[in-house]
Amino acid sequence: MAIGRRRRLARNGLYVAGLSPAAFLLALFFVGPALWALASSFTNRALVGIDAANPRFVGLDNYARLFGDPDFGRVILNSVIFVIGSAIIGQFVLGLALALLLDHAQRRGFLATNLVYASVLLAWVNPTIIAGFLWVAMFDFYNGSLNTGLHQLGLGPVDWLGKGPMLAVIIANIWRGTAFTMLIFLGALRTIPSDIYEAARVDGANAFRRFWDHTLPILRPIAALTLLSVTMATFGTFILIQTLTNGGPAFQTEVIALYAFHEAFQAHAVGYGSTIAVVMLALNLSFAIVFLRWSRARA
Amino acid sequence: MADVEYVDVWKQFASQASAAVQGLSLTIPDRELLVLLGPSGCGKTTALRMLAGLEEPDRGDIRIGGKSVVGLEPKDRDVALVFQSYALYPHLSAQDNIGYPLKVRHLSRAEQREKVSRVADMLGIGHLLPRRPAQLSGGEQQRVALARAIVREPRVFLMDEPLSNLDAKLRVHTRTELKTLQRELGTTMVFVTHDQAEAMSLANRIAVLNAGELQQIGTPDEVYDRPANVFVAEFIGSPPMNLLPASRHDDSLVVAGGWRIPAPALASAPNGEVTVGLRPEGISIEADGQTAEVVAVEPFGSEVIVDVLVGSQSLKIRAAPDVRPNPGSTVGIRADPAAVRLFDASTGLATH
Amino acid sequence: MTALAAGGEQVAARTTAPPAPRRARRAGPIEWLLVHSVFLVVCAFFLIPFLWLLSAAFDERASAYIQWPAAPTIMNFVRIFTEHDFARVLANSVFVAVATMVLVVFAVSLAGYSLSRLDLRHKDWITYAVLLLQTMPISATMVPIYGLARQLGLRNSYLGLILIHAAIELPFLIWLMKGFFDSIPRHLEEAAWLDGRSRVRALFEIVLPLARPGLGIAAGLAFLSAWAEVLMVVILIDQDNLKTVPLAFYEAMRTQGGYTEVQYGVIAAMAVVYLLPVMVVFFGARRLMIRGLMSSTRGL
Repeated sequence: MAIGRRRRLARNGLYVAGLSPAAFLLALFFVGPALWALASSFTNRALVGIDAANPRFVGLDNYARLFGDPDFGRVILNSVIFVIGSAIIGQFVLGLALALLLDHAQRRGFLATNLVYASVLLAWVNPTIIAGFLWVAMFDFYNGSLNTGLHQLGLGPVDWLGKGPMLAVIIANIWRGTAFTMLIFLGALRTIPSDIYEAARVDGANAFRRFWDHTLPILRPIAALTLLSVTMATFGTFILIQTLTNGGPAFQTEVIALYAFHEAFQAHAVGYGSTIAVVMLALNLSFAIVFLRWSRARA
Repeated sequence: MADVEYVDVWKQFASQASAAVQGLSLTIPDRELLVLLGPSGCGKTTALRMLAGLEEPDRGDIRIGGKSVVGLEPKDRDVALVFQSYALYPHLSAQDNIGYPLKVRHLSRAEQREKVSRVADMLGIGHLLPRRPAQLSGGEQQRVALARAIVREPRVFLMDEPLSNLDAKLRVHTRTELKTLQRELGTTMVFVTHDQAEAMSLANRIAVLNAGELQQIGTPDEVYDRPANVFVAEFIGSPPMNLLPASRHDDSLVVAGGWRIPAPALASAPNGEVTVGLRPEGISIEADGQTAEVVAVEPFGSEVIVDVLVGSQSLKIRAAPDVRPNPGSTVGIRADPAAVRLFDASTGLATH
Repeated sequence: MTALAAGGEQVAARTTAPPAPRRARRAGPIEWLLVHSVFLVVCAFFLIPFLWLLSAAFDERASAYIQWPAAPTIMNFVRIFTEHDFARVLANSVFVAVATMVLVVFAVSLAGYSLSRLDLRHKDWITYAVLLLQTMPISATMVPIYGLARQLGLRNSYLGLILIHAAIELPFLIWLMKGFFDSIPRHLEEAAWLDGRSRVRALFEIVLPLARPGLGIAAGLAFLSAWAEVLMVVILIDQDNLKTVPLAFYEAMRTQGGYTEVQYGVIAAMAVVYLLPVMVVFFGARRLMIRGLMSSTRGL
């Protein structure tokens, strides 16, 4: 018994060693920054000036200032609007609709399915900075493809980035992120055997009933998880919005990630920026815990 | 309750080289249990699905109760289908599964509950109603699938190899239950299987198919005793019929090894090459018969199968349980003239 | 039709064959039209930006809208290498991405294997922790990583960049590899141990070859992720000679803003070249990549 336990520990020792390179990296560059941000948030550290050389401990001042600042309220509102518009209304619904469409088309044997599938994926897989570049061009007021298209239809040009910045970034993000939810739902739909639909047909259900009575209920458990998942993923959007509007004009698209960045690097208030980062991390962590609890319950 | 007719039905799938169903014509009278029997890919499932309305024939007609159903949606045909995989709705309880066809027809909740519990009791699964398919065993799932078909009181029951996923013992047990059930309900049933024993035990009549073509249709006795061709002769029966190349000389048949069997009196085939068919029970082991070398002896408790070699030809013989010759020894064999079947050597069709 | 069955095998030998494939039900013309109209709209939405990109890259006088180039040319591609020093930036990206990939595959296969074979009562907690890390938004760590890197002197060094890149990709890929190693039965290694092989050799000779598809996915994803990484590069690099492609783009767009004239043709050419590896890796091994990406969301 003792020998077995010792051997077990010895064997485990090797495995723990195997974990060490990854653990080291994670500790230093994942946990480390989180802790650093936490510590910094209690100081008035800055990038230039006296406070850069000698940051002072200021306790919860930063937090008090943050939660009292109407700007922050605006930022939270923007973030919420962005997430609802892009993740919930856009990516989730569009992803589900596309998955249903593609699954049906595939069962029917339509070959064009693969083209559509690849197009949606392409938008997701290309580097974010490229996506930003592409949409800067699309939204261009004088020459962008969208306005040119509108011109062809006899309609006037729209100042997307100037007058409707939130809509613009939401559209761009939907373009970018729909593949994620689509893939999840497609995976789920493909696990439904054709037999079920045939049995329903023989039982007398028409197309609508088959969808309502069988497809939707089977999708429901994964829909909740997916919704949470895509919300979390959209929450930290940074580059796309920065390249399109940089938070503007006039703060209209300033989401939380951008706010942290601007405070830290433009206003040079690293301590304050860290505070915002900590708030982001805390929010994300709470979502993540809920997500993990739900998915374990399902398993 | 209705009769079923296939009238010269043809079906070809674009992805395949040859037609899945070729010129199928058969009539199933009301209340009959017909088994569609054949190896995989013979077209039996396709034929069944065309009856259900899940596939449409390219040519020909399918009629239920005298009226053509071609082009009608499955739900308008009033047929019920039990799938090989059962196709139970995974997210619904057994009760809701069985009640689903009733729900689609807008029966009241009370009526649904009443009919479902009646059918469930009939099949002995009343206690399983609140459970989901994932919580049921294979046999229980199969009964739920069956219940779902029965509850609709359809004109025709269609079964696509419903027993093949059950373990052997359960399969045999359920077989008998199904036969009794069909007789009690009195509904026409079309049953698809590749298992000839299953077909023999269940069917009122068997329709044997191969490569899309109907080989023979008849009662189990007819199909067993008088196979229409070599395919049927070999497919039905376990062990299968012994098929021996032979040459006919007037009133005797010379089989390999010089064994002479008296030719059946009424056989009118010309002299020449024939194929002789003899069921294992049509050959007996007798002291003064043709010499044959014993290759193996398989005791089955109630009988013994003796593998022998006559010249270069191997045969299986069914014998009484106490007949135990030693492998390697020689025995005498004799064929019962009444059991001899003749098939044309080139076409394989039965000539006697 | 001859019915001479081949062989005369025992009927009992007929085994259950695989079920017949479910053939597609033919769709009516209205359905076909409807579905394909929607397809057209969807494809247009997702592809138009790329169509523009291609049209602009081959057009010397490219504009922000799609147009057929008056005189299709590859001059833009030539220019990015001769006038804009794109070769250096590209090479930097390649170096960083490959180095990150190597480091990641090494760390992740080791960690995934160890986590899979670890026999600890609270092993679940480690997996749980790894998954939690995976959900952390990188944009939140930008500020502290900047501060941390400055203090550690890791700014403007590829060492820092590669290490941090790798760290970011670890959580998801560790979880992925753990899954792969879980599916390789232990008996295989145990048989090797019984035969006298040491733990390490068994790992290399038996387990790793079987985990090849998983390693392939990890390598592909690690490469793609590092290739596309922009946040960390922005934070950590400001020296010209160390810039990678995303940073070049980032700066090109920052200085242009939304309304001033941009040299679209040139930047489009850069984008096309930059996208090539992505297309190759992802669409070349599409099924593998999607399998890998989707593992993160399937049941835990």
